Amino acid sequence: MESGELGGGREVREVFANGVSMKTAEVEAKLDEGNIQEAESSLREGLSLNFEEARALLGKLEYQRGNVEGALRVFEGIDLQAAIQRLQPSIAEKVPSRKGRSRTESMHAVSQHAASLVLEAIYLKAKSLQKLGRLSEAAHECKSVLDAVERIFYQGIPDAQVESKLQETVSQAVELLPELWKQAGCYHEAISAYRRALLSQWNVDNDCCTRIQKGFALFLLYGGVEAGPPSLAVQIDSSYVPKNNLEEAILLLMILMRKFILGKTQWDPSVMEHLTFALSLCCQTPVLAKQLEEIMPGVYPRVDRWNSLALCYSGAGQDKVALNLLRKSLHKHERPDDLTALLLAAKICSEDSNLAAEGVEYARRTINNAQGIDEHIKGVGLRMLGLCLGKQAKVSSSDFERSRLESEALKSLDEAIALDHNNTDLIFELGIQRAEHRNLDAALQYAKKFLDETGGSILKGWRLLALVFSAQQRLTDAEVVTDAALDETTKWEQGPLLRVKAKLKVSQSLLTDAIETYRYLLALVQAQRKSYGPLRKFTQVEDDKVNEFEVWHGLANLYSSISHWKDVEICLGKAKELKQYSVEALHTEGIMWEGCGQIEEASAAYINGLLLEPCYVPCKVLIGALMSKMGPMALPVGRSLLSDALRIDPTNHMAWYYLGMVYRDDGRIADAADCFQAASMLEESNPIESFGSIL
Amino acid sequence: MSDDSPVLEILTNTPTSETTSPAGTSKPTLDIASPSGSLSKTQSAIRSLSSILPTTTPPDLCTALSLLHDHEVASNISFLLRQPNSGAGDDNLCRWLYDTFQSGEPDLQLVVLRFLPIIAGLYLSRVSLSKPLAGFEAVLLALYAHETTSRAGQPITVNVPDLSHPSVYHESVSPTKNNSTAFNLAVLSPSLEPLGTVRSTKRARIVGVALELYYSKIFQMPIGSKIDFCDFCVVWAGHEADVGKDSDYGASELLGANESRERMGKEGRIPLPWELLQPVLRILGHCLLGTRENKELFDAAWAACRSLSARSIHDIDPRAILATGSLLRLGKMAMEPKDDYDPTEVQTSGVITI
Repeated sequence: MESGELGGGREVREVFANGVSMKTAEVEAKLDEGNIQEAESSLREGLSLNFEEARALLGKLEYQRGNVEGALRVFEGIDLQAAIQRLQPSIAEKVPSRKGRSRTESMHAVSQHAASLVLEAIYLKAKSLQKLGRLSEAAHECKSVLDAVERIFYQGIPDAQVESKLQETVSQAVELLPELWKQAGCYHEAISAYRRALLSQWNVDNDCCTRIQKGFALFLLYGGVEAGPPSLAVQIDSSYVPKNNLEEAILLLMILMRKFILGKTQWDPSVMEHLTFALSLCCQTPVLAKQLEEIMPGVYPRVDRWNSLALCYSGAGQDKVALNLLRKSLHKHERPDDLTALLLAAKICSEDSNLAAEGVEYARRTINNAQGIDEHIKGVGLRMLGLCLGKQAKVSSSDFERSRLESEALKSLDEAIALDHNNTDLIFELGIQRAEHRNLDAALQYAKKFLDETGGSILKGWRLLALVFSAQQRLTDAEVVTDAALDETTKWEQGPLLRVKAKLKVSQSLLTDAIETYRYLLALVQAQRKSYGPLRKFTQVEDDKVNEFEVWHGLANLYSSISHWKDVEICLGKAKELKQYSVEALHTEGIMWEGCGQIEEASAAYINGLLLEPCYVPCKVLIGALMSKMGPMALPVGRSLLSDALRIDPTNHMAWYYLGMVYRDDGRIADAADCFQAASMLEESNPIESFGSIL
Repeated sequence: MSDDSPVLEILTNTPTSETTSPAGTSKPTLDIASPSGSLSKTQSAIRSLSSILPTTTPPDLCTALSLLHDHEVASNISFLLRQPNSGAGDDNLCRWLYDTFQSGEPDLQLVVLRFLPIIAGLYLSRVSLSKPLAGFEAVLLALYAHETTSRAGQPITVNVPDLSHPSVYHESVSPTKNNSTAFNLAVLSPSLEPLGTVRSTKRARIVGVALELYYSKIFQMPIGSKIDFCDFCVVWAGHEADVGKDSDYGASELLGANESRERMGKEGRIPLPWELLQPVLRILGHCLLGTRENKELFDAAWAACRSLSARSIHDIDPRAILATGSLLRLGKMAMEPKDDYDPTEVQTSGVITI
C-alpha cells in the first residue's frame, strides 16, 4: 500500500505471454537497480521466452514506465537488424519452425507474430530516441521499420489475415516517420516519407490516412520547402500529377474535403481554412465557391457561408451573384450589421448607378455600426457612401436632386479623408470627383498628392494628372506628364498613355506627330496580341489595355478633325472589322456623313448609335442639333433631345452650345447667352478624354 | 517620385572597396564551382563587410553560413540599413549587399536575402518621401534579375485540380472527361521581363519577385529575418495590429494604439497591389503556421495578419479578405490549447503482452 501511495497512482503492471502472466514489480525492481540481465532472465524463466522476446518485453516495460533511456539501453542490446534478416522470406521458407515451436500455427502467422515483435521493438526504439531528442537517429530507426515491412512481406498480406498488433505498429511508423524527419530538420526526407506513406499500400485506417494527408498538405503549404513533383514511378497514365507544392497541397486538401462530405472522416474546420488560403492565393475563388457549396448544410452557419461565397464570387468578378448572396445575409432576420458584408455590398453597388441608392443604405448602416473596436471602419463607410451618392447623382431625375446628392457625396468623401488621410484610393476618388465637377485646382492637388503618396506606382495616377492638365488647357504640361509616365512604364502597359499622347497631339494640331504616335501604338497592340497567349493575367493594367479598335477609331477622329473624309471612312472600316456594333464608331460615322453633307445617312448613324446605347450623350447631342436645324416641326424634338443630353451629362459643352443655338433661333436671346456662356466655360475646362475613362 | 536612376551604372562603374577585395570578386563570372574560389569569395566578402560595419566582425566568422546566423553582424547591418539616410546610391552597405549577391555564391546570396525584409520594407515605405534610394534599388534589381534568369522569364502556374479526374492520391469513379475542362489554370506569378532600372509602375512587381525568391529560400532564413518581415507588414498595412474584431483591449490602450497608427500611417502605409500582397501572404503563412516552435515569430506573424486583415477590409479586396481571414482563424486555432492525443504513441495498459 505504502509504495502505491508514494508512486503517485503508479499502475500495477503485469506481463503476459505464452498463456502465463506475471506481476512486474520484481522485474521492475531489478531494472531500477540497473540489472538488465537479471530482469531479463527472470522474465525468460517466468514466461518461457527466448532472449529476444524477453528483451523486447523488457524494453516495452521500460518505455511504458516512462524510462526511455532505460528502454533504449534494452533495445540496443538486441540485434534487431539480424532479427529482420532472419525474418526475410528466403530464410523463413527454409527453416519453417525456427524457434522449435511445436504449435500448429501456419507459417504465415508465425512469421507475422515474430515480425510484429521485432518491428514493435524497433518502433519503440525510435520513439525512445525521439523523446530523447535524437531525432535523426529516431527517423532512421523508424524508417527501418518500414523497410523491413517491405522486405518481409514483399508480396503483401491479405487484409483479413493481418495481425492487428502488426498493423498498428506499421500504421504508427508510417505516421511517425515524416514527423521525425520534419523535427530533425530533414525536409526533403520528410517529403519522401510523406509520399511513401500516401503512395504505397500500408493499409492504414481512414483516420490515420487523413492525418497524414493533412500533415503533408500543411507542410507543402507552409513549410517553405519546394517538394518538386513525385517521381515518375508513381505516375499512372492519365492521372493527375501535381507539379508543385501548391498544386499538391490543394489536391490533398480537396481530397480531405471530399472525405468529410462523404462522411468518411470527421469534420475538421481547419481544412476548409487552409483550402481557402491556398485557393485565394492563386485567385481561384470560383473553385473555392464550389467547395463551399458542396459542404452539407448544418456544418457552417448559413450566413457565414453566404458571406464567404459572396467574397469568392466578387473576387472572380461576378458581382451580381455576390450581391444577391449579400442581400440574403444582410436581411434583417439574418445578420444585418456584418461590417465586411455591408462594405462589400456597398462597394458592388457603388460601381453601378442603378444600384447606387441601395449602396447608400449599406454604407449608412456601416457607418452606424462602426463603433468601438470597429471604429476604424467608419472612414471606409463614409468613402463608400460618398461613392454611392456620387453614382446615384448621375441618374437623378432632377437638377435639384442631383446637386443635393453631389454635395452630400462630396461631404462624405471629405469626412472620410479626415479620418483616413493617407488612404490613397480615397485621394484618387476625391481627385476624380473634383475633376468631374470641373473644380480643376482641387483636382490637381489631389492628383499630385496621389502620385506622391503612391510614388508614381499606379498608372491611373499619371493619367488623372495628365487629364487634369489637359482640362486646364495646359497641354504642354499634360504632355510632359504623359512622357514622364511613359518612362515609368514598360512597353506593354503604355497603351493608354500613348492614346492620351496622340489625343494631346491632335489637340495641339500636331497631326503628323499624332499619326506617328498612333502608328507606334498600333504596332504595339499587334505585337502584344502575338506575344501573349492565354497566360496574360494579373498585371495592374489588365483592364485598360488599348485594343486595336480604339486605335483605328482614334485615327478616324483625327482625320475627321481635318475633314479628310476618305481617310475617315478607311479607318472606320478597319475599326468595324474589329467591332461591328460600336456606338463610338457610329458617332464618328455620323460626323463623317454630316461633313459630306449627307444628312440622312448622318442621322441614321446617330439613331443607330442611340439604339445601341440610349444614353450615349455625343450621339444625342448631334441628332438633337440636326433635328433643331430641320425646321419648326422638328425643333421641339431637337430641344428636348439636347435637354435630355444635359440631364445625363451637364458638363457637355456641345449640348449647351446647340441648345444656345436653339434659343437664339427662337429669339430667346438671354437664355441663348447663358447657354453660350456655359458652353464656353465648359469647353475651357474640357479634358481630352473623359475623367470617367480612368476608372 | 521619379527616383529611377541608372543605379546599375553607379554601382558597377564605381570601384568597390578595391583595397580590401582581390580583383574580380564582384564579377559573377568567376569560377564558382571550385571550393577554393568560393572560400576566397566568402573571405573577401567578410573582409569588406568588416570595413563597413562600425564594430569589427568577430574573427570566428569564416563561412557564409556563420555569417548568416551571426546575431551581432545581423544587428549591425540592420542598424546601418535603418539609418534615415541609408539606401542612397553611395551607400557602402548597399554596395556590399549588391556585390555579395552578384558573387553568385549561393550561401553568400542567402546572407543578402536575409536582409531583404528590411530593404524592401524601408524602400517601399520611403518611396513617397522622395529620397534617393538607388542603393536599395540596385539590390532589389539584382534579386529580380536573378529570379528572371533562373526562371527564364517563365510564369509560374498552378493547375488547380478537379477531383472528377483521378490523381496520384485518389481514384475517380466517373470516367475521365476531356482534359481541357478538367483543370483551372491559375497564374501564380506572371512572366518576367528583364528590367535595367526601377520604373515606378514596376516597383511593386520587382519587390514582389524578390519576395518570391526570399520565399523559395525561407526555410534557410534565420528567425530574426522573418520577424523583420512581419514587422514591416504591419507598417505597410498602415493599421496597428490591435485593430480587429476580437481585440479585448481597453479604451486607454486603444487610444495609445490610435496614436501609433497616426505616426506609422504617415510614413509606412503603401499601396498593396495583389502582385505584392500575394507573395507577402505566402511568406506570412509560413511565419504563422510553418514553424510552431518559435513564439516570438508566431506573435509577430499574428500581429502582421491582423494588420493586413484590417487593411484588406479597408481596401474591400475580396481575395485579400478571404486569405487574411483564413490565416487569422488558423492562427487562432493554433493558439488554442491542443489536446495531447498523439496517434503515434503506443497505448499503455496494465497488461503488457508480446
